[in-house]
This record gives sequence, C-alpha cells and structure tokens, in this order.
Amino acid sequence: MSAAPGRPRQARAPGGVRLTPARIGIYAFLLTAALFFLLPLYIMLVTSFKTMDEIRLGNIFALPLSVTLEPWMIAWSQACTGVNCNGIRGGFWNSVLIVIPSTVLPILLGALNGYALSFWKPRGSQALFAILMIGAFIPVQVMMYPLVRILASVGLFSSLPGIVTVHIIFSMPVMTLLFRNYYLSIPQELFKAARIDGGGFWRIFAQLMLPMSTPMIIVAAIMQVTGVWNDYILGLVFAGRDNLPMTVQLNNVINTTTGERLYNVNMAATILTSMVPLAIYFFSGRWFVRGIAAGAVKG
Amino acid sequence: MKLKLLTLALFMGLGALAHAAGPKAEVIHWWTSGGESAAVKQFSQAYTTAGGVWVDTAIALGEQARSVAINRIIGGNPPTAAQFNTSKQFLDIVEQGMLNNVDEIALRDGWDKFLPETVLNVVRVKGHFYAAPVNIHMPTWIWYSKSAFKKAGITAEPKSMDEMFAALDKLKAAGLIPLAHGGQPWQENIVFTAMLANVGGTELYLKVMRDRDPAAIQGDAFRKVLTSYKRLQSYVDKGAPGRNWNDATALLITGKAGMQIMGDWAKGEFALANQAPGKDYGCIAGFGARSPYVIQGDVFVFPKTSDAEAIKAQKLLASVMLSPAVQVEFSNKKGSIPVRTDVDSSRLDICAQQGLTIMKDKSRQLGNGEVYLNPDQNGSLSDILTAYWNKNVPVEKVQKDILAALKR
Amino acid sequence: MKARLLHLSRQLVSWSALLPMALTVLVAYLGTVLWSLKVSLTNSRTFPSDEYVGLAQYERLFNNDRWLLSLENLALYGVLFIAICMLLGFLLAVFIDQKVMAEGALRTVFLYPYAMSFVATGLVWQWMLNPGNGIQQALRQLGWQDFTFDWIIDQDMVMYTIVIATVWQASGLVMAMLLAGLRGIDEEIWKAARIDGIPTWRVYVSIVLPMLAPSVATVFVLLFTAVIKLFDSVVSMTQGGPGTASEVPAKFIMDHLFGRANIALASAGSMVLLLTVLALVAPFLYARSRARRREERG
Repeated sequence: MSAAPGRPRQARAPGGVRLTPARIGIYAFLLTAALFFLLPLYIMLVTSFKTMDEIRLGNIFALPLSVTLEPWMIAWSQACTGVNCNGIRGGFWNSVLIVIPSTVLPILLGALNGYALSFWKPRGSQALFAILMIGAFIPVQVMMYPLVRILASVGLFSSLPGIVTVHIIFSMPVMTLLFRNYYLSIPQELFKAARIDGGGFWRIFAQLMLPMSTPMIIVAAIMQVTGVWNDYILGLVFAGRDNLPMTVQLNNVINTTTGERLYNVNMAATILTSMVPLAIYFFSGRWFVRGIAAGAVKG
Repeated sequence: MKLKLLTLALFMGLGALAHAAGPKAEVIHWWTSGGESAAVKQFSQAYTTAGGVWVDTAIALGEQARSVAINRIIGGNPPTAAQFNTSKQFLDIVEQGMLNNVDEIALRDGWDKFLPETVLNVVRVKGHFYAAPVNIHMPTWIWYSKSAFKKAGITAEPKSMDEMFAALDKLKAAGLIPLAHGGQPWQENIVFTAMLANVGGTELYLKVMRDRDPAAIQGDAFRKVLTSYKRLQSYVDKGAPGRNWNDATALLITGKAGMQIMGDWAKGEFALANQAPGKDYGCIAGFGARSPYVIQGDVFVFPKTSDAEAIKAQKLLASVMLSPAVQVEFSNKKGSIPVRTDVDSSRLDICAQQGLTIMKDKSRQLGNGEVYLNPDQNGSLSDILTAYWNKNVPVEKVQKDILAALKR
Repeated sequence: MKARLLHLSRQLVSWSALLPMALTVLVAYLGTVLWSLKVSLTNSRTFPSDEYVGLAQYERLFNNDRWLLSLENLALYGVLFIAICMLLGFLLAVFIDQKVMAEGALRTVFLYPYAMSFVATGLVWQWMLNPGNGIQQALRQLGWQDFTFDWIIDQDMVMYTIVIATVWQASGLVMAMLLAGLRGIDEEIWKAARIDGIPTWRVYVSIVLPMLAPSVATVFVLLFTAVIKLFDSVVSMTQGGPGTASEVPAKFIMDHLFGRANIALASAGSMVLLLTVLALVAPFLYARSRARRREERG
C-alpha cells in the first residue's frame, strides 16, 4: 500500500504520509477490527463497575448508573471460594511457582527436540515426531485417568513436580513443532560448518542454535505462559491442594451449580486474572518485533 | 522438686498441643458461592467446635468436584470426605471398595429412625451406610412474582395444573413472560420432573422412574405428562436457550416474568435482591393435597483409609453433620430442608416449613430422577427431553426413545 | 569400521537428547491411546472393567443422534474457523505491518482476547448474542426496528455464533505469528518488487505468502488442534444448546467421561475422533514424506 509509485518504503514516516484512499482503507479496516475486538472488553469493564441490581435489569451496553469499585475489591480479597472468602489472590503465588518451571522446561525441551529433529534426524525420529503431533489432538480429559495412575506409580501425583511434568507432557507437541519448523528454515550450511569446526551435539546446541532462537523463544514463551497461567483442569487434578493455581479460585468465584452468581465480581476477577498474560504481551511486544526483525525468521 | 514440676508442666504443655490439633478432615465439596459458603461454614464451625480441624477444598461445579475426588482416590491421595448427590453417583466407587462405611455412627445415632426412606435407601448399600446425607432440596418448586401476578390480574395462587395454565395465559395477555426458563438440559429435566409429579402423580412417577415399566412409559397417562411438558414451552420467551437459572429468576425479581419452576435454592437469589417469601414472591410445592415432595440432596462419602486419625475424623464429620442443631442452621443458610424428620422447623422460612411438613409424610416422598436412574440413564433421558422441548418430535417417538434409554 | 562406530555414537547422542520426547510419546500418548482403545471395547462405567463387549460401544455411538450431530457441527465449524482465522489474522498482520500509528496498542487490542479465560468471555458473548438484551435489542432501540440477530437461539445458526466468538479469541495469536514471519522478510524483496513495478497486492500473494509458508503451516496445525479440542467455548456460550444443536465431539466425550460415568462410550468417541484426524492428516503426511524422499534422492 505505497503512497505513490517510486517512493522508497523507509522514507514513509507515520506522521508525514499522504492520506490516500489506500491509507484510509487500512485505518478503516484496523479501526473496525479493533471495535469488534474491544466490544466484549467494554461489556466486561462496564459490568464490573455496576451493582447487581443494575445488572439484573439486563442492559449490558449501558454505562453504570452508579459506579462502584466494590466488585473489584471483593474479587481480589473477599469473594467466597468455599468455606474461605479470601478472593482470588490466594492462588497468585502458586500460579507463579507453577508457571516458571512450566515455561522454562518445555521451551528448553522443545528447542532440544526441534534441534535434534531438524539437523541430526536420527533413525526413527520422524515417526516419533509424527506420533507426537497426533498426540496434540487428544483432549486433555481423555488422558486424565491413565496419567493419574502413571504419576501415582512414580509418586508424583498431587505435587508441584507432578503438575510441571504434566505441563511438559501436554506442551511438548506444540513446542517441538514451533522449534522444529523454525530450525528447518535455518540453512544447513551453518550447521555443517559448525560440525566441521569440531562441534558436537551439545556444543552446537548450546553455543550456536539456542542463541539464534531468541525470536522463537519469545513466541513460545508467550504461548506457554498464557496456556499455563490460564490452565484450570490440569492444575486442579495434579497440583495437590497446597499448590492450587489462581484459576481454581477464579473458577470457584465464577461457577456455582445452585448458588447465586455475582456477575460484576466475576468480570472483575477475570480481568484481574488475565493481567499477568496481558503484561507479558505488552512488555514482550517490543522484543518480539525487534528481535524478529533483527534475528530473521526467514520465510 | 522443681525439676519434677518443670517436667510435669512440659508434658502437660505437650499434651495440650497434641489435643489442640484434633482430627484433621480435608473435605471436597462444590459449595463456592457466597450463600453456599455461609452454609458450609455451619459444618466447618461445628466440626471445629467438636474438636476437629477442617481443611477446605472447594471445587466449583458438582461434576468437576466429583471427578477430582475420584481421581484423587485413584491417585492415592484421597480426601477425608467428598461431596456427592443423593443418587447412584457413588455406587461404582462403593463397588470398587473405595469407601469406608460409617455404620458405627449410623447405628449409634439411629439414622434409620429419622431419615426419610427415600434417602435411607440411597445411603444404605448392601446393609452398610456408605454416605452421610446432609440436606434435602426439592427441584420442582413453582415460584411466582407477586407483582407480575398483580399486573396480570391473577388474584389467587393456582391450585391445579389447569389453573396454572390459565394463569400463564393471563400473564401472556398482560405482555409479561409467562414462564421464566433457562434453556439448559438440567433445567428442562426439572420442568419435566415437575410435570411427572404434578400431572402424572406419585404412582405413575414411581412406575416410570423407579420401575421403568414399559406399559406405563408407553401409556396414555405418561403421554399426557409429556404433552403438558411440551405445552409449557410455548410460554417461554425467545431468549431462553442457554440462559443461566439465576438470570431466569432475575426476570421474576424484576417483575418481567410471572412464574419459574426451579429448586429451592432460588430463594438465595431472591434474598440477595432483598425479596421475601410471601411478600414479594410466592412458592408452590405442588398441586393438590397429596402432591409429592421430590427429594434431591447432597451427601458426603468417606474414601477408604486405614489411618486411625482419618477414620476418627470421618466419624466425627458424620456425627456432626447430622446433629439436629447443625442441620437446621445449615439448611437455613442453604435454602434446603434438613434431612432429619425430627427437627424443630420454626427457624426456617415459610417455604421450607411447608416443604418439611410435606416431606415428613412418607406417602408423599419421591426421589429425583438421579435417585432411581444411574448417571448414564439420567443423561440419556435428559437428551430426549431437551430434544423434545426444542424440536417438534411426535410424542409417541419420545415415549419409544425414553423406553429405550431407560432400559439400559 | 571407525566410521560406522562414529555414526552409531552420533545416533546415540541424538537419541539420548530425545529421550524425554520418546518417553512422553510412548508412555503418555501411545499408552493413553492403547488404554482408551481397550476401554472402548468394554462396558466400563466410572472405572475400567475387564468385561469385553466387542464393538457394542461403537454401535451405540453411531446410533446416537447427539454424536452424529456433533461430528457434523465440528466439520462445519472447523472449516469456517480455520479459514476465517487465517484470513483475518493475515489481513491484520499485513495491515499492521504498514507502519501504522499506535502499532503497539493495536497489537495488544488484537491479542488480549487470547489472554482471557473463556469462562467469563463466553458468558459475555452469550449476553451479546441474546436477542432479548444483546446486540439485536440495542440496535432495535437505536432505531433499526426490524433488525434480527438471534442466531444463538436458532438451532440451525448457533454454530456460527461459536465461530464468531472463537475467531475473536484466536485471530490475535494468528496475527502475532504471521507478523513475526512478515517482519523477517528482507526489505530488499520490497525494493526489488517496486523496481520491477509489481503491484503491492501481487507481491503479497505471489512472493510473501510462499515465503511465509512455515509460519502458515505452524498456525494451521495449531488451529486444527484447537478445532478438534473445542470444548470450553461451547460449554460457556450455549451448553451445547439450544437442545443439542451446538454439540461437539469433545463435549460429548467429556459428558460421558464424568457426568454420565460411562468411560467406555467416551473412549469409543475419542477413538473415532482420533481416527478421523488420522484419516485427514495421513494422506498429507504421506505426500510430504514422498516429496522429501524425492528431494533427498535427487
């Protein structure tokens, strides 16, 4: 969508661009899309500042008649999640303790797997990879019972190492796929040169490939942090009572079979819980783009 | 001498410490909302007063909580007690020998003397008591908004099914939503159960649900039940599919709808909006002087363990949860009625008092579908009812499908 | 001889690194599939039993209207979801790449749905699409008296509402991954294309898109797995309704695993689902491996 034929791409600065129909078209599309994306957030925010009486009246788009911050305070520290009414904050550190190893280890393993699969290609590894990818299609709950038995037999059930192991298992297909496809786009000459220089399997990985993978590590981190932070079912079953993540409290606040539902508190709690992944997106966005442009995810 | 005194003091101190930590009970349940929390606190506080330590593991949604309980039993890390419904849900784990029984407490406290027969038959399996029942809910109460009735010119509470249809017509004419409903399978199940109880009657109900008698299921009386059920669908507003039951109750609270068929937990929503029974809304248990009381409820089971402290905790839980005072306090907060037929009901609200009176009459006790059907059969029945509610299926086909589903 | 030993030792080193993956695949994934297969041939209820009943569960499965409808729904949903997500994600990535103002803010706007738990956002979509007090009502109040948008209560249209809500949630991630790919394309390509006088849209279609192929492939696989595992969205938006109109296989399997205490039927369902995936993927994988073998040979 160039301004005029012949003008070089870099010379276009955002401010000094001629408003051609094409340019207007771009902005129109982006703004319309932004409205579509923001509408649910608007409703969530607006609902979270209303009183239940107002919500019962059913006008979801209306701005609150009387703004109240109570739902937010209740969500964080007073909402009932069982006998205890301490809001969702209780699980925050548990979630952090689960997320960190469950992001670092899967990324490392994914990179290792991708590296071995794309450069070394030992006999039979392609078949193994194919089966791994098929595994990505199995719904989590189907694997629940066998996994419970397996983990119980090695004494890892209901523990922090247990939940981290489970996260590693479930994220392996995607992580491996990400890195394998990434490494496939790196020229084989680089690898061959390193081999000639006398590099072994681990040396080449640690000193050459891993440093080159920064852009993909960032993408993988975004996906994994979001996935693990928002995970509910795995943490619920495998983490053990003392390590239950924040999503369990969130679900206890939101869901109830025959109890009353406080929609304003639910919305506030959801937004609060999503703050961590959102912060990660916001801050990693810089590296994400800059790193990509510099490190080149070659097409 | 001083040394002796010191040693004595030390031992007494240690003894006090050992006593301070009473039997620890980790309890899995699904009571997570504010009202439910206030109710389960009655149990945890009573248990603590009796000397125990309550460790709370609340997990939202019954199906989720039960599956976690089962997974933990399989994984070797069972809770001390886990909540189930008064139903066949826990028969499989009894069969696998994964539960401790509480015969000692049941016999000591005389459960067979004050538990209604329907409940007794559920918790007593092969002569042993495997579950401690803690409350009775009735899912088929008929609620009505007094302001909506006034607007539609309905002066008296409907006393029969025909009068109810007449009232619904009047509400429709007044421009209100006659029947507030949430289009979710379990809610349709409730409406059906209400029709089976009120239009079909106690005998037909038992023949269909408990005996699964083919003649009854394919008969005219049951057909009338099904058509009444389908007829109610025409009184429901277009926005009903998928709606949460609370949002349907909200329609009554704001006077936009006239009636709702829902369990007694609905009182919690009314209370939250500061509405009182008898004043802002009315409750009808059923039509006729012999209307049945459909029994649904919650129980606690005790996973198998040979740890002496855990067994002590299980016994203490079972006895505390069924003690009369605790029963009344719990039900008061929960909206249910006590599971004991011998308690003083003066502290309960008028709807609950009405319910308790009916429930005490043995001839009017009926179990909810899940009391007689296993989860698979109940689920298949739900599927057929939901399909019938939402589509135009000939009623004879529905009868045939139900026959096939219940035969499993 | 020495070369052989060296080759073997290299294989061993690679395999030792792949040990976690091998363990995971064999024990966790393959083990589960075999276990599921075994259970699907029994009459297990809450717990696995050893009473074999042959293919009875599969028979029951294919006589079940709900299951058949769920497969139909998934096929329709899958095609629409993947196509729209890819298109929307691609367009968003391309347009954002045009050095627009407030790019960071726009990126966050498109990505934030992915960060939020669908339990709450699903409810918001249910509210928005409800004819009584959602978008239909709002537009009617603004003056468009005849506007109807009640797909969510219409048995024939409800799956489209699920498409809308899940596209909202996933397009941001597609955009992020394709944007990463776009940003990696050399500026030189653009310069060369402009010198050659090729119109911009042509550059995108004939040059850029092929270069993005690996990213597109990864995105496609991710979307495909999301389609097969579609569950949370349906539960929080429509509960499978109205009636059973928005039933999907994962929900059918889940309901029978826990609620209905019938793990045999649920396992039969997951086996069928898995076989369907294999049937769709196998020809593609076969073609790829043949192409690669041809490459390596020639």
